[in-house]
Amino acid sequence: MSEPVYAVEDLVIDLYTPSVSVRAVDRVSFAINAGETLAVVGESGSGKTVMTLGPLGLMPEGVTIDLRGSARAAGKDLVKMSPKKLSSLRGGQFGVIFQDPMSALNPMLKIGPQLAEQARRFAGLSPAAARAAAVSLLARTGIPDPEDRYDRYPHELSGGMLQRAMIALALAARPRVLIADEPTTALDATVQAQILALLRQIQNEDGIAVALITHDIGAVSVLADRVIVLYAGRIAEEGSAIDVLTSPVHPYTRGLLASVPDFRSDTASGTREIPGLPPDQTRVLPGCRFADRCPQAEASCRTKRPVLTCVGGNEVPHRAACPIVIRDEGLADND
Amino acid sequence: MRRMFLRRAGLALLLMLAATALTFALVTAAPGNVAALIAERAAGPGADGEMIARIADELGLNDPLPVRYVRWLGDTFTGDFGVSLRTGKPISEEFAERIPVTATLLAGGGMLALFYSLGLGLWGATSNGRFADRILHGIALIGASTPNFFVAALLVIVFAVGLGWIPSFGLYGWTSWILPCVTIALFPGSVLARVVRVNLQEAMARPFATTGFAKGMNRGEVLVREALPNIAIPYITTFGAQFTLMIIGAIVVERLFGLNGIGAFFIEAIRFRDFVGMQAVLTLFVVFFVSVNLFVDLVAMLVDPRLRRARRA
Amino acid sequence: MRFARLPWLVLTPALIFVFVGVFAPLLMTHDPAVQDYTAILQGPSTAHWLGTDYLGRDLWSRIVGGARTSLVAMAFVLVAALVIGVVIGSVAGYVGGLVETVLISLIDIALALPSLVIALALMGVFSGENFDWLSDYWKMVLALTLAWWANYARMSRAVVVAELQQPYIEAARVMGASHLWIFTRHILPHVLGLVVVYASADAGALVLAIATLSFLGLGVAPPTPEWGQMLVDGMSYIEEYPNLVIIPGLALTAVVVSFNLLGEAFALQKVPRALRGRLLGRKRAERKAEDQARVSVEGQA
Repeated sequence: MSEPVYAVEDLVIDLYTPSVSVRAVDRVSFAINAGETLAVVGESGSGKTVMTLGPLGLMPEGVTIDLRGSARAAGKDLVKMSPKKLSSLRGGQFGVIFQDPMSALNPMLKIGPQLAEQARRFAGLSPAAARAAAVSLLARTGIPDPEDRYDRYPHELSGGMLQRAMIALALAARPRVLIADEPTTALDATVQAQILALLRQIQNEDGIAVALITHDIGAVSVLADRVIVLYAGRIAEEGSAIDVLTSPVHPYTRGLLASVPDFRSDTASGTREIPGLPPDQTRVLPGCRFADRCPQAEASCRTKRPVLTCVGGNEVPHRAACPIVIRDEGLADND
Repeated sequence: MRRMFLRRAGLALLLMLAATALTFALVTAAPGNVAALIAERAAGPGADGEMIARIADELGLNDPLPVRYVRWLGDTFTGDFGVSLRTGKPISEEFAERIPVTATLLAGGGMLALFYSLGLGLWGATSNGRFADRILHGIALIGASTPNFFVAALLVIVFAVGLGWIPSFGLYGWTSWILPCVTIALFPGSVLARVVRVNLQEAMARPFATTGFAKGMNRGEVLVREALPNIAIPYITTFGAQFTLMIIGAIVVERLFGLNGIGAFFIEAIRFRDFVGMQAVLTLFVVFFVSVNLFVDLVAMLVDPRLRRARRA
Repeated sequence: MRFARLPWLVLTPALIFVFVGVFAPLLMTHDPAVQDYTAILQGPSTAHWLGTDYLGRDLWSRIVGGARTSLVAMAFVLVAALVIGVVIGSVAGYVGGLVETVLISLIDIALALPSLVIALALMGVFSGENFDWLSDYWKMVLALTLAWWANYARMSRAVVVAELQQPYIEAARVMGASHLWIFTRHILPHVLGLVVVYASADAGALVLAIATLSFLGLGVAPPTPEWGQMLVDGMSYIEEYPNLVIIPGLALTAVVVSFNLLGEAFALQKVPRALRGRLLGRKRAERKAEDQARVSVEGQA
């Protein structure tokens, strides 16, 4: 297998704002390869956005962020990079789609010229070629009458169209990694399916690497090759989408899947909630972060940090961070 | 958009009429017997009742107030503002001499305020929270708090008295305009610099700024190309308000630097109970303020794509 | 309202201003109006702490007296304008209909000119014989009040209109509450909350307006001490005795800066600001200590 396009190793991210300081990501490693879709799943506040966008320096104004570990892309370590170099890497290497296109697109700027500029800056096209590329990109993302839409402002487009424009903008610089941060959350249900189909189509055509940040299990099952389940800044479970969705190991993953209506046949009769609330991330206590909500928690869970252990999987190892389940169900897989 | 603008323009016209009517009522009727005042000025303290009555009759001061207002309005439209009770000259002549002075002051001060506020505000925003930002913040705060007559005094002490570079009084060539223009630009410029700073910081915290960073822009580019267009509307609105407020600065510096503009005329009219002159200047001010506000509305409409869109619909 | 970011130290001039204004008679070393031709244009000395002006009047006592003049005038204007503004704005907002239209037009007319221009025009009107019964001081207070209420009225009306749309007002009405009850119990507190805060930040502009009127010779008349008037008197001697200009100017500027900072504290509430410096260092240290404590429990991870 060739080198991953984005590989994060032992990443720790602390966030500081005047009101809170949070250990948002706690020793996480993952990698994305070209042509593959990695879904990062977790509740809001689990650190899934910080984990993917933090190393790129894409944090809201007013947030101070401390990074440890490494995050490699294009042969460089983003953690050690100066802000200036990082900014040029962001456009060319990574394209980002945000949750709410209405607020993520600048209300004072026309859609098309922004795309054309990206094409000019990062793909080195002439102004005329960049414009043509922008129009064809709008057409490719399924925006009708792209010549007309080129000169439109965001408020003149519907939410679904705006998200398509956002995708076009993210692709305009021809990045190697597309990071989609909850790309369908702010959209209507029917539009959600269209956007997911569009992302899959782009993935198939371009062979680009996609990181899909979501809490929508449906979107994961549609798009993802591999899944990372994040809980309170730590990886609870990871593996191929099929393994994780059909035979989850970690009690949190099981709870998460059980809370999705009609997803697994054995809970078709109704959904279950995970009792309790996510932990207070301003303080990191010893042991497993899920222990307080876990039905199977034992005393040792509160003193020992669980490590990711292989429980199966074919090409993609299926790993979970729950020694209790692995012991009780005899899942340890040491090959 | 045209309909919206025409509506605004109609309202502005109504506002001008109402405001001039109110000032007319206040200035010509409330203070007391203008005819007696005129007679006194003409004949000294010995003006008799007969003379006062004749003057009142000639000037139509015995007519009911609405009649007088309509007559005044008609005269004003034809450019006849009456005769100054102080100088005895037609006020239109005074205006012809004085308006260029005040207009030059406002134009110079407005330009300086524009450059100063954008420069200071942008510089402050690029150095967000750091030492330079605090310094600039302090400059803007003090600039927006120092009385303009004190600013003028300090400028005179340093540049005219201390260094002897520029004249401190009267008009001797273009250098005479420097101190007055700087004086009146400091306050609005500082207020605007704060508007730039606060709004830029707010814009930088909005999601589209993060999109800008994601597009591969550095901080400066995001600031100028993503955030700056978004402060255009608050900036234009505040600029309009501050531009009209600069008339107060003009009143002060015309007096301080001995410039014969509208402001100086206004103050003299007040001090010497020249009610005709006062009414004329107030009318001029009302027209100026309402038109500037209307113009600002129009520019804001042209700048805001959300409002501009209405034109196509 | 949070005042976390308010630099309390910078409010000192405003507090000193209020203190000096209130206790002025005790702080003055001389009668600020008494002229002493044997001690004209003197520098600072033990007899005259800040020196004397061109009429031999004690500068320190005049600064102190000027603080009192400004403070008292400001307080009168602020309270009167506030009351007028809140009453007119509330009536407009609560009653609605034709009354509202008329009052809004009045407010719009009053806001069509800058407050200070209106105050100047009113000083002109008050110079007429019909107003001879008013002293110059009260003319100024009245003119400023009539020039200042409109902003408060507009603000009050906006709050009233917004509050009237709240569901709980409808609920109170359904339960049979009277208009007076609803207004005084539910709406007025909101109006006052906002307007009083705004007015306190507006105090600086008012101090400035008083000084400007006096500077133009249309406010407080001599011999009452007033900073703007002291400054204009000093302008004639600016080449030799710049202190006569600089001292009242600095006093005025310090007070206005101080009041304006109060306004700034409100304006900056919503701007995000990163954690920096020592505080950030402390939080990082806390985080590190916590990590170490955890590792000692978890053992080698």
